[in-house]
Amino acid sequence: MLTYEPGDSVGHRLDARSKLLLQASFAAAAFGHTDPVGLAVLTGLTLALLALASTTPGVVLAEYRGVLPFLAAAPVIESLRFGAPWVDPVAAVDPALAAYRTVLLLALVAAYVRTTPVRESEAAVARLVPGKLGRLLGLGVGLVFRFLPVLQADLARTREAMAARLGDRRPLRDRVRIVATAGLTRALSRTDRLAVALRARCLSWNPTPPEATFGREDALALGLAAALAGWAMWPAAATAPW
Amino acid sequence: MSTATEDVDLVGEEIAANVARAALFAALTGVFAYVSFQLPVTSVPFTLQVLGVFLAGVFLGPVWGAASMVIYVVAGAVGAPVFAYGSAGLGSLFGQWGGYLWSYPFAAAVVGVGVHGAGDLVDPDTVGLGRLVGAMAAGTVLIYAFGTVGYAVVGEVSLVTAVLAAAVPFVPAEAIKAAATVAIVRSDAVVAR
Repeated sequence: MLTYEPGDSVGHRLDARSKLLLQASFAAAAFGHTDPVGLAVLTGLTLALLALASTTPGVVLAEYRGVLPFLAAAPVIESLRFGAPWVDPVAAVDPALAAYRTVLLLALVAAYVRTTPVRESEAAVARLVPGKLGRLLGLGVGLVFRFLPVLQADLARTREAMAARLGDRRPLRDRVRIVATAGLTRALSRTDRLAVALRARCLSWNPTPPEATFGREDALALGLAAALAGWAMWPAAATAPW
Repeated sequence: MSTATEDVDLVGEEIAANVARAALFAALTGVFAYVSFQLPVTSVPFTLQVLGVFLAGVFLGPVWGAASMVIYVVAGAVGAPVFAYGSAGLGSLFGQWGGYLWSYPFAAAVVGVGVHGAGDLVDPDTVGLGRLVGAMAAGTVLIYAFGTVGYAVVGEVSLVTAVLAAAVPFVPAEAIKAAATVAIVRSDAVVAR
Protein backbone atom coordinates (compact mmCIF):
# COMPACT_ATOMS: atom_id res chain seq x y z
CA MET A 1 0.00 0.00 0.00
CA LEU A 2 1.13 3.51 -0.83
CA THR A 3 2.14 5.11 2.46
CA TYR A 4 4.60 7.45 4.11
CA GLU A 5 8.14 6.13 4.44
CA PRO A 6 10.30 8.01 6.94
CA GLY A 7 13.58 9.24 5.47
CA ASP A 8 15.91 12.17 4.96
CA SER A 9 15.80 12.79 1.21
CA VAL A 10 15.28 16.18 -0.43
CA GLY A 11 11.68 15.13 -1.03
CA HIS A 12 11.18 14.60 2.71
CA ARG A 13 12.57 18.03 3.56
CA LEU A 14 10.33 19.95 1.16
CA ASP A 15 7.19 21.66 2.41
CA ALA A 16 3.98 19.77 1.47
CA ARG A 17 2.64 22.85 -0.32
CA SER A 18 5.70 23.08 -2.59
CA LYS A 19 5.24 19.43 -3.52
CA LEU A 20 1.54 19.91 -4.27
CA LEU A 21 2.29 22.97 -6.41
CA LEU A 22 5.02 21.09 -8.24
CA GLN A 23 2.58 18.28 -9.01
CA ALA A 24 -0.04 20.71 -10.30
CA SER A 25 2.38 22.53 -12.61
CA PHE A 26 3.86 19.21 -13.75
CA ALA A 27 0.33 18.08 -14.67
CA ALA A 28 -0.24 21.34 -16.58
CA ALA A 29 3.05 20.91 -18.47
CA ALA A 30 2.24 17.28 -19.25
CA PHE A 31 -1.16 18.24 -20.66
CA GLY A 32 0.38 21.08 -22.71
CA HIS A 33 3.12 18.85 -24.15
CA THR A 34 1.65 15.39 -24.72
CA ASP A 35 4.01 14.67 -27.63
CA PRO A 36 7.04 12.34 -27.77
CA VAL A 37 9.56 15.16 -27.15
CA GLY A 38 7.61 16.74 -24.30
CA LEU A 39 7.00 13.41 -22.60
CA ALA A 40 10.68 12.43 -23.00
CA VAL A 41 11.70 15.65 -21.21
CA LEU A 42 9.10 15.03 -18.49
CA THR A 43 10.23 11.40 -18.13
CA GLY A 44 13.76 12.62 -17.39
CA LEU A 45 12.37 15.12 -14.88
CA THR A 46 10.21 12.43 -13.27
CA LEU A 47 13.18 10.10 -12.86
CA ALA A 48 15.21 12.94 -11.30
CA LEU A 49 12.39 13.83 -8.89
CA LEU A 50 11.89 10.16 -7.96
CA ALA A 51 15.61 9.89 -7.19
CA LEU A 52 15.40 13.01 -4.99
CA ALA A 53 12.50 11.39 -3.13
CA SER A 54 14.44 8.09 -2.74
CA THR A 55 11.71 6.23 -4.65
CA THR A 56 12.78 3.80 -7.36
CA PRO A 57 10.73 3.36 -10.58
CA GLY A 58 10.31 -0.31 -9.60
CA VAL A 59 8.46 0.73 -6.44
CA VAL A 60 6.14 2.94 -8.53
CA LEU A 61 5.34 0.13 -10.98
CA ALA A 62 4.70 -2.29 -8.11
CA GLU A 63 2.30 0.21 -6.48
CA TYR A 64 0.25 0.65 -9.63
CA ARG A 65 0.26 -2.90 -11.01
CA GLY A 66 -3.53 -3.05 -10.54
CA VAL A 67 -4.06 0.12 -12.58
CA LEU A 68 -1.69 -0.49 -15.51
CA PRO A 69 -3.89 -3.03 -17.41
CA PHE A 70 -6.76 -0.53 -17.45
CA LEU A 71 -4.40 2.15 -18.79
CA ALA A 72 -3.31 -0.16 -21.62
CA ALA A 73 -6.94 -0.88 -22.57
CA ALA A 74 -7.70 2.52 -24.17
CA PRO A 75 -5.02 2.48 -26.91
CA VAL A 76 -5.83 -1.15 -27.70
CA ILE A 77 -9.58 -0.51 -28.07
CA GLU A 78 -8.97 2.69 -30.05
CA SER A 79 -6.76 0.89 -32.59
CA LEU A 80 -9.40 -1.78 -33.35
CA ARG A 81 -11.56 -1.30 -36.46
CA PHE A 82 -14.83 -2.91 -37.44
CA GLY A 83 -13.59 -4.13 -40.82
CA ALA A 84 -10.36 -4.76 -42.74
CA PRO A 85 -7.58 -4.21 -41.77
CA TRP A 86 -9.13 -4.59 -38.26
CA VAL A 87 -6.17 -2.98 -36.54
CA ASP A 88 -5.09 0.61 -37.14
CA PRO A 89 -1.89 1.22 -35.15
CA VAL A 90 -1.77 4.95 -36.02
CA ALA A 91 -5.00 5.56 -34.11
CA ALA A 92 -3.39 4.11 -30.98
CA VAL A 93 -0.54 6.66 -30.86
CA ASP A 94 -2.37 9.56 -29.17
CA PRO A 95 -4.16 7.39 -26.56
CA ALA A 96 -0.87 5.62 -25.83
CA LEU A 97 0.86 8.96 -25.21
CA ALA A 98 -2.03 10.04 -22.97
CA ALA A 99 -1.84 6.77 -21.02
CA TYR A 100 1.91 7.23 -20.59
CA ARG A 101 1.29 10.76 -19.31
CA THR A 102 -0.99 9.29 -16.63
CA VAL A 103 1.84 6.92 -15.61
CA LEU A 104 4.16 9.92 -15.12
CA LEU A 105 1.56 11.75 -13.01
CA LEU A 106 1.02 8.65 -10.87
CA ALA A 107 4.78 8.30 -10.36
CA LEU A 108 4.92 11.80 -8.84
CA VAL A 109 1.94 10.92 -6.64
CA ALA A 110 3.84 7.90 -5.31
CA ALA A 111 6.87 10.10 -4.57
CA TYR A 112 4.65 12.64 -2.75
CA VAL A 113 2.84 10.10 -0.61
CA ARG A 114 6.05 8.30 0.33
CA THR A 115 7.75 11.52 1.47
CA THR A 116 4.94 13.45 3.18
CA PRO A 117 3.63 12.67 6.69
CA VAL A 118 -0.12 12.92 7.26
CA ARG A 119 0.12 15.88 9.64
CA GLU A 120 1.85 17.98 7.00
CA SER A 121 -0.73 17.14 4.34
CA GLU A 122 -3.48 18.08 6.78
CA ALA A 123 -1.81 21.40 7.64
CA ALA A 124 -1.20 22.11 3.94
CA VAL A 125 -4.94 21.82 3.26
CA ALA A 126 -5.81 24.11 6.17
CA ARG A 127 -3.26 26.68 4.94
CA LEU A 128 -4.20 26.52 1.26
CA VAL A 129 -7.95 26.90 1.83
CA PRO A 130 -8.64 30.06 3.85
CA GLY A 131 -10.91 30.52 6.85
CA LYS A 132 -13.32 28.15 8.55
CA LEU A 133 -13.82 26.15 5.37
CA GLY A 134 -10.12 25.34 5.33
CA ARG A 135 -10.21 24.38 9.01
CA LEU A 136 -13.12 21.98 8.46
CA LEU A 137 -11.55 20.54 5.32
CA GLY A 138 -8.20 20.07 7.06
CA LEU A 139 -9.95 18.44 10.03
CA GLY A 140 -11.95 16.15 7.74
CA VAL A 141 -8.83 15.17 5.80
CA GLY A 142 -6.97 14.40 9.04
CA LEU A 143 -9.87 12.24 10.26
CA VAL A 144 -9.91 10.34 6.95
CA PHE A 145 -6.20 9.56 7.34
CA ARG A 146 -6.75 8.35 10.93
CA PHE A 147 -9.88 6.29 10.34
CA LEU A 148 -8.91 4.70 7.04
CA PRO A 149 -6.80 1.91 8.62
CA VAL A 150 -9.40 1.35 11.37
CA LEU A 151 -12.32 0.96 8.99
CA GLN A 152 -10.13 -1.10 6.69
CA ALA A 153 -9.46 -3.53 9.53
CA ASP A 154 -13.22 -3.62 10.29
CA LEU A 155 -14.03 -4.62 6.72
CA ALA A 156 -11.15 -7.11 6.50
CA ARG A 157 -12.48 -8.86 9.64
CA THR A 158 -15.97 -8.92 8.14
CA ARG A 159 -14.73 -10.52 4.94
CA GLU A 160 -12.65 -13.05 6.86
CA ALA A 161 -15.58 -13.98 9.07
CA MET A 162 -17.75 -14.29 5.99
CA ALA A 163 -15.21 -16.54 4.26
CA ALA A 164 -14.88 -18.70 7.38
CA ARG A 165 -18.63 -19.37 7.25
CA LEU A 166 -18.48 -20.11 3.51
CA GLY A 167 -20.16 -16.74 2.91
CA ASP A 168 -17.90 -16.21 -0.08
CA ARG A 169 -20.00 -18.77 -1.96
CA ARG A 170 -23.14 -16.69 -1.60
CA PRO A 171 -24.43 -14.69 -4.57
CA LEU A 172 -22.53 -11.48 -5.37
CA ARG A 173 -25.48 -9.28 -4.36
CA ASP A 174 -25.58 -10.80 -0.86
CA ARG A 175 -21.83 -10.47 -0.39
CA VAL A 176 -21.87 -6.78 -1.37
CA ARG A 177 -24.81 -6.14 0.96
CA ILE A 178 -23.22 -7.92 3.93
CA VAL A 179 -19.88 -6.15 3.58
CA ALA A 180 -21.53 -2.77 3.08
CA THR A 181 -23.90 -3.18 6.05
CA ALA A 182 -21.08 -4.21 8.35
CA GLY A 183 -18.91 -1.31 7.17
CA LEU A 184 -21.70 1.20 7.62
CA THR A 185 -22.77 0.04 11.11
CA ARG A 186 -19.16 0.13 12.33
CA ALA A 187 -18.64 3.57 10.78
CA LEU A 188 -21.83 4.96 12.34
CA SER A 189 -20.98 3.70 15.83
CA ARG A 190 -17.47 5.13 15.51
CA THR A 191 -19.00 8.42 14.34
CA ASP A 192 -21.03 8.80 17.51
CA ARG A 193 -18.04 8.19 19.75
CA LEU A 194 -15.88 10.51 17.64
CA ALA A 195 -18.43 13.33 17.81
CA VAL A 196 -18.55 13.08 21.61
CA ALA A 197 -14.75 12.97 21.77
CA LEU A 198 -14.41 16.03 19.53
CA ARG A 199 -16.73 18.04 21.75
CA ALA A 200 -15.08 16.79 24.95
CA ARG A 201 -11.70 17.98 23.64
CA CYS A 202 -13.02 21.47 22.85
CA LEU A 203 -12.75 21.31 19.08
CA SER A 204 -11.92 24.88 18.09
CA TRP A 205 -11.79 26.94 14.93
CA ASN A 206 -8.28 28.22 15.75
CA PRO A 207 -5.94 25.39 16.81
CA THR A 208 -2.16 25.78 16.99
CA PRO A 209 -0.81 24.79 13.58
CA PRO A 210 2.40 22.78 13.14
CA GLU A 211 5.48 24.82 12.32
CA ALA A 212 5.77 25.71 8.65
CA THR A 213 9.21 25.06 7.18
CA PHE A 214 10.22 26.93 4.07
CA GLY A 215 13.85 26.45 3.11
CA ARG A 216 16.20 26.97 0.21
CA GLU A 217 15.03 23.72 -1.36
CA ASP A 218 11.44 24.97 -1.36
CA ALA A 219 12.53 28.06 -3.26
CA LEU A 220 14.16 25.80 -5.86
CA ALA A 221 11.01 23.65 -6.03
CA LEU A 222 8.84 26.74 -6.51
CA GLY A 223 11.22 27.93 -9.24
CA LEU A 224 10.90 24.58 -10.99
CA ALA A 225 7.10 24.72 -10.62
CA ALA A 226 7.04 28.23 -12.15
CA ALA A 227 9.27 27.06 -15.03
CA LEU A 228 6.96 24.10 -15.69
CA ALA A 229 3.88 26.35 -15.58
CA GLY A 230 5.56 28.76 -18.02
CA TRP A 231 6.47 25.88 -20.32
CA ALA A 232 2.86 24.64 -20.13
CA MET A 233 1.61 28.07 -21.24
CA TRP A 234 4.21 28.43 -24.00
CA PRO A 235 2.33 26.79 -26.94
CA ALA A 236 -0.73 28.99 -26.28
CA ALA A 237 1.35 32.14 -25.77
CA ALA A 238 3.50 31.57 -28.89
CA THR A 239 0.48 31.31 -31.19
CA ALA A 240 -1.44 34.19 -29.58
CA PRO A 241 -2.22 37.12 -31.93
CA TRP A 242 0.02 39.69 -30.15
CA MET B 1 8.71 35.50 29.52
CA SER B 2 5.41 36.31 27.94
CA THR B 3 2.21 34.38 27.84
CA ALA B 4 0.14 34.45 24.71
CA THR B 5 -3.56 34.57 25.39
CA GLU B 6 -5.96 34.06 22.58
CA ASP B 7 -9.67 33.38 22.57
CA VAL B 8 -10.57 29.82 21.73
CA ASP B 9 -13.39 29.86 19.24
CA LEU B 10 -15.23 26.56 19.79
CA VAL B 11 -16.87 24.67 16.95
CA GLY B 12 -20.61 24.23 17.54
CA GLU B 13 -22.01 20.82 18.52
CA GLU B 14 -24.01 20.34 15.36
CA ILE B 15 -21.13 21.19 13.05
CA ALA B 16 -18.71 18.99 15.01
CA ALA B 17 -21.11 16.04 14.75
CA ASN B 18 -21.67 16.62 11.05
CA VAL B 19 -17.95 16.94 10.32
CA ALA B 20 -17.34 13.68 12.18
CA ARG B 21 -20.00 11.95 10.09
CA ALA B 22 -18.82 13.47 6.82
CA ALA B 23 -15.22 12.44 7.53
CA LEU B 24 -16.22 8.89 8.52
CA PHE B 25 -18.32 8.48 5.37
CA ALA B 26 -15.37 9.78 3.34
CA ALA B 27 -13.10 7.23 5.04
CA LEU B 28 -15.70 4.50 4.45
CA THR B 29 -15.79 5.41 0.74
CA GLY B 30 -12.01 5.20 0.78
CA VAL B 31 -12.13 1.72 2.32
CA PHE B 32 -14.78 0.66 -0.18
CA ALA B 33 -12.29 1.60 -2.91
CA TYR B 34 -10.13 -1.35 -1.80
CA VAL B 35 -12.92 -3.88 -1.55
CA SER B 36 -13.01 -5.45 -4.95
CA PHE B 37 -15.49 -8.01 -6.18
CA GLN B 38 -15.61 -9.75 -9.54
CA LEU B 39 -18.66 -9.62 -11.73
CA PRO B 40 -19.86 -13.09 -12.71
CA VAL B 41 -19.38 -14.07 -16.40
CA THR B 42 -17.21 -11.08 -17.40
CA SER B 43 -15.01 -11.29 -14.26
CA VAL B 44 -14.41 -7.56 -14.43
CA PRO B 45 -13.19 -6.46 -10.99
CA PHE B 46 -15.17 -3.57 -9.50
CA THR B 47 -14.82 -1.59 -6.28
CA LEU B 48 -17.54 -0.27 -3.98
CA GLN B 49 -16.64 3.46 -4.05
CA VAL B 50 -19.92 4.44 -5.69
CA LEU B 51 -21.73 2.66 -2.86
CA GLY B 52 -20.04 5.15 -0.53
CA VAL B 53 -21.37 7.99 -2.70
CA PHE B 54 -24.90 6.53 -2.53
CA LEU B 55 -24.73 6.03 1.24
CA ALA B 56 -23.39 9.55 1.81
CA GLY B 57 -26.26 11.04 -0.19
CA VAL B 58 -28.89 8.83 1.45
CA PHE B 59 -27.74 9.12 5.08
CA LEU B 60 -26.15 12.60 5.20
CA GLY B 61 -28.39 14.50 2.80
CA PRO B 62 -27.39 16.79 -0.05
CA VAL B 63 -25.22 19.30 1.84
CA TRP B 64 -23.16 17.13 4.18
CA GLY B 65 -23.18 14.25 1.69
CA ALA B 66 -21.51 16.50 -0.86
CA ALA B 67 -19.19 17.86 1.85
CA SER B 68 -18.23 14.29 2.72
CA MET B 69 -17.27 13.57 -0.89
CA VAL B 70 -15.31 16.84 -1.10
CA ILE B 71 -13.35 15.66 1.96
CA TYR B 72 -12.84 12.29 0.23
CA VAL B 73 -11.50 13.89 -2.96
CA VAL B 74 -9.28 16.39 -1.12
CA ALA B 75 -7.92 13.69 1.21
CA GLY B 76 -7.06 11.59 -1.82
CA ALA B 77 -5.53 14.58 -3.59
CA VAL B 78 -3.14 15.25 -0.69
CA GLY B 79 -2.12 11.62 -0.47
CA ALA B 80 -4.54 9.46 1.52
CA PRO B 81 -4.64 6.20 -0.46
CA VAL B 82 -8.43 6.32 -0.90
CA PHE B 83 -8.89 6.17 -4.67
CA ALA B 84 -9.51 2.90 -6.54
CA TYR B 85 -6.88 0.23 -5.82
CA GLY B 86 -5.19 2.41 -3.21
CA SER B 87 -4.03 5.16 -5.53
CA ALA B 88 -3.94 8.81 -4.46
CA GLY B 89 -2.62 12.24 -5.27
CA LEU B 90 -3.30 15.37 -7.22
CA GLY B 91 -2.27 13.59 -10.44
CA SER B 92 -5.15 11.11 -10.07
CA LEU B 93 -7.64 13.97 -10.38
CA PHE B 94 -6.15 14.82 -13.78
CA GLY B 95 -5.60 11.20 -14.80
CA GLN B 96 -7.80 9.10 -17.02
CA TRP B 97 -10.33 8.30 -14.28
CA GLY B 98 -10.28 11.79 -12.78
CA GLY B 99 -13.75 12.52 -14.18
CA TYR B 100 -15.25 9.92 -11.86
CA LEU B 101 -13.62 11.52 -8.82
CA TRP B 102 -14.79 15.04 -9.75
CA SER B 103 -18.35 13.71 -10.10
CA TYR B 104 -18.68 12.26 -6.58
CA PRO B 105 -19.59 15.46 -4.68
CA PHE B 106 -22.19 16.36 -7.31
CA ALA B 107 -23.55 12.81 -7.41
CA ALA B 108 -23.88 12.68 -3.60
CA ALA B 109 -25.74 16.01 -3.73
CA VAL B 110 -28.06 14.69 -6.46
CA VAL B 111 -28.78 11.49 -4.50
CA GLY B 112 -29.32 13.57 -1.35
CA VAL B 113 -31.77 15.95 -3.04
CA GLY B 114 -33.56 13.01 -4.66
CA VAL B 115 -34.05 11.25 -1.33
CA HIS B 116 -34.52 14.15 1.08
CA GLY B 117 -35.82 16.96 -1.11
CA ALA B 118 -34.62 20.50 -0.54
CA GLY B 119 -35.76 20.91 3.09
CA ASP B 120 -34.91 19.07 6.31
CA LEU B 121 -33.54 15.53 6.28
CA VAL B 122 -36.07 12.70 6.38
CA ASP B 123 -35.65 9.12 7.63
CA PRO B 124 -34.53 7.25 4.47
CA ASP B 125 -36.53 4.20 5.59
CA THR B 126 -39.76 6.16 5.01
CA VAL B 127 -38.80 7.15 1.45
CA GLY B 128 -40.52 5.17 -1.32
CA LEU B 129 -38.59 2.58 -3.31
CA GLY B 130 -39.14 4.39 -6.61
CA ARG B 131 -37.73 7.59 -5.21
CA LEU B 132 -34.65 5.86 -3.74
CA VAL B 133 -33.88 4.01 -6.97
CA GLY B 134 -34.59 7.11 -9.08
CA ALA B 135 -32.22 9.22 -6.99
CA MET B 136 -29.44 6.63 -7.28
CA ALA B 137 -30.06 6.19 -11.01
CA ALA B 138 -29.71 9.95 -11.47
CA GLY B 139 -26.50 9.90 -9.42
CA THR B 140 -25.14 7.01 -11.49
CA VAL B 141 -25.88 8.80 -14.76
CA LEU B 142 -24.06 11.89 -13.47
CA ILE B 143 -21.04 9.83 -12.35
CA TYR B 144 -20.74 8.06 -15.71
CA ALA B 145 -21.29 11.28 -17.65
CA PHE B 146 -18.36 12.93 -15.84
CA GLY B 147 -16.35 9.71 -15.94
CA THR B 148 -16.62 8.87 -19.62
CA VAL B 149 -16.19 12.45 -20.80
CA GLY B 150 -13.13 12.76 -18.57
CA TYR B 151 -11.77 9.46 -19.90
CA ALA B 152 -12.33 10.57 -23.51
CA VAL B 153 -10.78 14.03 -23.06
CA VAL B 154 -7.78 13.00 -20.94
CA GLY B 155 -7.16 9.73 -22.77
CA GLU B 156 -7.57 11.43 -26.17
CA VAL B 157 -9.90 8.71 -27.37
CA SER B 158 -13.36 8.89 -28.93
CA LEU B 159 -16.43 8.96 -26.72
CA VAL B 160 -17.38 5.50 -28.02
CA THR B 161 -14.07 4.03 -26.88
CA ALA B 162 -14.45 5.78 -23.54
CA VAL B 163 -17.90 4.28 -23.06
CA LEU B 164 -16.61 0.81 -24.04
CA ALA B 165 -13.51 0.97 -21.84
CA ALA B 166 -14.67 2.99 -18.84
CA ALA B 167 -18.44 2.58 -18.52
CA VAL B 168 -19.95 -0.54 -20.09
CA PRO B 169 -17.93 -3.08 -18.06
CA PHE B 170 -18.93 -1.41 -14.78
CA VAL B 171 -22.59 -0.50 -15.22
CA PRO B 172 -23.96 -3.94 -14.11
CA ALA B 173 -22.05 -3.49 -10.85
CA GLU B 174 -23.85 -0.19 -10.19
CA ALA B 175 -27.19 -2.01 -10.19
CA ILE B 176 -25.82 -4.36 -7.52
CA LYS B 177 -24.62 -1.40 -5.43
CA ALA B 178 -27.99 0.36 -5.73
CA ALA B 179 -29.74 -2.85 -4.65
CA ALA B 180 -27.37 -3.13 -1.69
CA THR B 181 -28.12 0.48 -0.69
CA VAL B 182 -31.86 -0.19 -0.78
CA ALA B 183 -31.38 -3.35 1.31
CA ILE B 184 -29.30 -1.40 3.86
CA VAL B 185 -31.86 1.40 4.11
CA ARG B 186 -34.69 -1.10 4.55
CA SER B 187 -32.87 -3.36 7.03
CA ASP B 188 -33.08 -2.86 10.79
CA ALA B 189 -29.32 -3.35 11.17
CA VAL B 190 -28.55 0.26 10.36
CA VAL B 191 -30.34 3.06 12.16
CA ALA B 192 -29.79 6.56 10.83
CA ARG B 193 -29.27 9.00 13.68
